[in-house]
Amino acid sequence: MNDAKTDARRGHLSRRSFLGTAAATATVTAGGLWLPRAAHADTPKKGGTLRLGMEGGTSTDSFNPMTLSDELPIALCYCIMNGLIEFDAEGLPQPELFESWEIEPGAVKWVFKIRQGIAFSNGKTLTVEDVIYSINLHRGESVSQLKGNLEPITEITKLSDSQIAITLNEGNADFVALLGDYHLLVVPEGHTDWTKPIGTGAYVLESFEPGVRAVFTARGDYWKPGRGNFDRVEVLYIPDAVARTSALQSGQIDGANRLDPRTVDFLAQAPNLNVVRGEGTGLRYVFCARVSDDPYTNQNAVLALKYGIDRQKIIDNVLNGYATLGNDHTINPNSPFFNAELPQRPYDPDKAAWHLKEAGLTGSEFRLTVSEGAWVTMPDCAQIFQQSLDPAGIKLELNKVPADGYWSNVWRVDPFCGVIWASRMTADENLTVCYSSTSPMNDSNWKNEAFDKLLTEARVELDQGKRKEIYATCQQMVSDEAGHVLFAINDTLDGYGKNVMGVNKHPRFGFDDLRVAEKAWFA
Amino acid sequence: MKRYVATRLLLGLVTLFCVTVLVFVATNMLPGDAATEILGRGATPETVARFRAQLGLDDPLVLRYGKWIWGLLHGDLGQSLTTQASINDTIWPRLWSTLRLAGLTALVSVPLAIGLGVLSAAREGSFLDRALAMAALTAISFPEFFTAYLLILVFSVKLNLLPNLSTIFPEMTFLEALRAMVLPVMALSCLVTAHMMRMTRTSILSVMSQPYIEMAFLKGVPRAAVITRHALPNAAAPIIAVVAMNLAYLVVGIVVIEVVFVYPGLGQYMVDAVGKRDIPVVQACGVFFALAFIGLNLISDVLAVLVNPRLRRRTGG
Repeated sequence: MNDAKTDARRGHLSRRSFLGTAAATATVTAGGLWLPRAAHADTPKKGGTLRLGMEGGTSTDSFNPMTLSDELPIALCYCIMNGLIEFDAEGLPQPELFESWEIEPGAVKWVFKIRQGIAFSNGKTLTVEDVIYSINLHRGESVSQLKGNLEPITEITKLSDSQIAITLNEGNADFVALLGDYHLLVVPEGHTDWTKPIGTGAYVLESFEPGVRAVFTARGDYWKPGRGNFDRVEVLYIPDAVARTSALQSGQIDGANRLDPRTVDFLAQAPNLNVVRGEGTGLRYVFCARVSDDPYTNQNAVLALKYGIDRQKIIDNVLNGYATLGNDHTINPNSPFFNAELPQRPYDPDKAAWHLKEAGLTGSEFRLTVSEGAWVTMPDCAQIFQQSLDPAGIKLELNKVPADGYWSNVWRVDPFCGVIWASRMTADENLTVCYSSTSPMNDSNWKNEAFDKLLTEARVELDQGKRKEIYATCQQMVSDEAGHVLFAINDTLDGYGKNVMGVNKHPRFGFDDLRVAEKAWFA
Repeated sequence: MKRYVATRLLLGLVTLFCVTVLVFVATNMLPGDAATEILGRGATPETVARFRAQLGLDDPLVLRYGKWIWGLLHGDLGQSLTTQASINDTIWPRLWSTLRLAGLTALVSVPLAIGLGVLSAAREGSFLDRALAMAALTAISFPEFFTAYLLILVFSVKLNLLPNLSTIFPEMTFLEALRAMVLPVMALSCLVTAHMMRMTRTSILSVMSQPYIEMAFLKGVPRAAVITRHALPNAAAPIIAVVAMNLAYLVVGIVVIEVVFVYPGLGQYMVDAVGKRDIPVVQACGVFFALAFIGLNLISDVLAVLVNPRLRRRTGG
């Protein structure tokens, strides 16, 4: 144990001399991405102890894939277990334990080939039965959070010792991306003891104290070439952003997630650190008006709010510029289906005033429920929103409520409140979950039959050009009609010691899709 | 005396029982329960209902409380709703962490505070007295996280002398562990020393105006001896009380310090549990916090009686 530590330290020192030149060649753009280009070309090296400091976990965490809900436990699970599908840096589904797949026309029946010769950490070889069991953990009488997403599956059948077929109740060309969900982790058939996780991943659990630390050791001979490079991985729970960055600066950890956008500029100047920025791939910040409640039933009332919000000012002042403008729908600009033709909605108080008049309102009817429970800086964002509505003659009332219990007390209860939406990997999932008539998560309660029909059409359309057209129309409809004043999509910001190589931004999560322990290596 | 302690102990037990009832009722009154909090906002009502049944949250409140207190009487704190782990196993390291930090801070700050308080009183109105008063007021006025961040900035980021992560791991040597705890102990000492020092000074000075002190001076007893022999024992009761209150604060009230220095104690454990509505864990933490308060109060009262013969006689025994 101590040997591994000294090794890491030695590596750290010898690297210093090398870094003189590496830092000079590193690309530093204003508030951009700081990564020595040479880092990517390096071939992975084995060894060392990776120490990560993370936010996004609590002392109630476990290795139960059914109840995963925040980034830290997901990252822990990815150390031990593999998924069926992995997303690449472009966000496209790539084989993981599913080696390949075929779609039958109509995208109703899918055939998957399972990777052969993979061993679990308990020595058992991966079989078709393990995969079926792992998927079924989230179906039927399950308490899984993923249960709703897997409802379209009508049947899973074993075709041979290496193949399964999955049948859906309706076609879905994006189904494979659904299987890349972080809940879908593969465990041996019959496994239920989540205090003793077993998987096919690069590491095994050495010790775990929820809310404190998890320690992993390498299994050796990981089946993914060039991955799982560390001898040992320690993940520390550091919920406080200042503590996390201080520990990173003083070299007590090698990586820290969720850097504070307000101080990240200073960190980026530190000679011993790299900051990796995933632009516009983080959370979508939304003021959500329920269009089934007055005064939001009137489309003009909602449009007045959408034109009356100074998006850029919020991004500059609250998020220190580390966010992308939102255009009132949840598809982010990196998505292949993003509608770039749709003009960005500007801040236009005159237009807002005009819509207010059209709606026949006086401007004092709006009351926003504000809470740090929605997201920590929501009160700051709401204040700028309030100020920017003022020139349009709208007096927004702010009703501050406590953070505790926000998601059960306020969200989907109060007609106008804050909500964050996480990145979802397909346009279909984004739009279906947030805006389709039947979705329980459709928090703005916007219902449109034509929109639902378009979604169903796109789901079975295998021609990407045509799908793009359909999704473009969908984005236009949502942006104009739904109740989401979606003003910004934030950046993921991670910090690493300069010796950590092979880390990239990722369209799903920070920390390289939370797989940094598997993907990175020490220089 | 024995009867006094016995009565107080009995009252303490009654208080403890009331606290567990209150914590239980209050946590149950919070919106949401463990099922909704664990499953998150995407869960369907059927899933929540099934999970609720699995966790036994459908049982009536009285029954759930009864089961819990029955377990407690048998030394079993129950099972966490979220991790399914035994609370007996998980709470001890946390409790030990909290007690270790509180103990170490007390070891540093109590002698320091009383010493400086006596010194201030002895040199009332001097430059030293005024400087200490100023320092104490400054330390009290800063919010605890500010003091903590300042210490981190200076000692770990700028000077790189001490770690800002204070978690103690089993593989650490004694010295490494001690080093890890320096910063939180410093931050907490800043907070509690000031309070106790001011109280020591005030109580001594109030005694100093008494006739018997004047008598001692007239006898020709030196000032230092008057303070330590005559004034301090008579001023002890309020000092002991404020020390006990501060020690209780060190056990129950330092969540912020725990978060800032990443020191996983009982406070953070309880806050996490409240967030997830993990009632058995909240209950367990509540019991220990209540025990700390009741115990320290009892000790301080008994000590106050012991150092003051007049009180001793009045309580009998």
